[in-house]
Amino acid sequence: MEASELERFEAVVLPHLDAAYTLARYLTRNAHDAEDIVQDACLRALKHFAGFRGEEGTSARAWLLAIVRNTVYSSRRRQRPEALATEFDEMQHSDAVADDHPETALLRSTAKEALGRALERLSPEFREVIVLRELQGLSYKEISDVARVPVGTVMSRLSRARTRLQQALGGEEER
Amino acid sequence: MTHPSFEAQLDAYLDGELAAADARELETHLAQCPECTRFRDARLELRAAIAAGVPALQAPAALRERVRAAVGQGASARARAPRRFDVRGWWRPLALAASLAVVALGSWRLALQRVAGETLADEVLASHVRSLMPGHLTDVLSTDQHTVKPWFNGKLDFSPAVYDFSGRGYPLLGGRLDYVAGRAVAALVYGRRQHLINVFLWPAARGPVPGPATRTEQGYHLLHWTAADYTYWVASDLGLTELQDFTQLLRQADSAATAPAAAPGLR
Repeated sequence: MEASELERFEAVVLPHLDAAYTLARYLTRNAHDAEDIVQDACLRALKHFAGFRGEEGTSARAWLLAIVRNTVYSSRRRQRPEALATEFDEMQHSDAVADDHPETALLRSTAKEALGRALERLSPEFREVIVLRELQGLSYKEISDVARVPVGTVMSRLSRARTRLQQALGGEEER
Repeated sequence: MTHPSFEAQLDAYLDGELAAADARELETHLAQCPECTRFRDARLELRAAIAAGVPALQAPAALRERVRAAVGQGASARARAPRRFDVRGWWRPLALAASLAVVALGSWRLALQRVAGETLADEVLASHVRSLMPGHLTDVLSTDQHTVKPWFNGKLDFSPAVYDFSGRGYPLLGGRLDYVAGRAVAALVYGRRQHLINVFLWPAARGPVPGPATRTEQGYHLLHWTAADYTYWVASDLGLTELQDFTQLLRQADSAATAPAAAPGLR
């Protein structure tokens, strides 16, 4: 790689490091893993950078976030192959709780903590659309590029994810 | 409510992702349906709660350093013949290809203009990217057009038109001086969700050029046109559709301001 190409990479890709870290952190739910993912993803991005010229409709940020997402999913596949044995199913998983947090912990929660936890307990496919939209302001089209699903799926997934969050919060208030 | 597809429509509407015709239809329905109004209010509450309670994060400084080092190493490992100080080199094949393509259409004049355009686009893009680096975005940080506009007094030989489109979802964030095309220019910064839009403008050398011409480089969209008085460049990583929507607002506000009946203060 030429020095000019490296400078271009630093100017185009590195401004989106915060966004990359945010997505990695919410997807892995772990600061240490998130850092490893981001570093790994940046190296992958560098490797494929020659092929990225900012095609029509693809922002550098969405491009990097797609790589971060792939890195998270492929490292998860390496570490816990059984976790992905069941393919994500929109209908089946929309009512399922992904993780089994002790219910007693819910009793001692502030609203803010409750929301953070509700987000953590969403399945990754729901969590990522919430993070991409609400925290990073991506358009539906950009989310569809990152998550590699049609825009219509982004729309329904985002809506179901929000309903899940509301249900989780409503459920806690009633306790 | 148990209409998932309708809920998704309402969400898309609140996200500003619904087509105008559908949005109007939905607004009509909202006005007469208390159930949907409650649904909307709950969604707005959720959105506010997420904004307040679930932060976007900053990459730790140590990570930033690690990535820079790793990228530097990764790049030199892959280096074939490292050449230094050739920052602009990668543009040349593009500029050449573009001029060849246009020459093939049979117009030398067009080709020359196109290459000049590439150089200017290059400059505008570099300014846009530089402005995204920490501390470079604005010289005057204000959402008030009546603060931003006078700030340019005495700094430029023209008084740029400054608008606030926050009612349309493009709030004014501030302005700064920039240097493009061999002269000091005004750069106005607008926001759209987490996206930033830079509007560069300076007095037009020649008459109006219809547009906007659109190009996409490195994931950023650049829109360019020349109105009666000013040359405009708009740069952002915002989706092209929304950016065109913003550009349309800007051009409408501008043509209203430059119409003979308009207040001269806006010129």
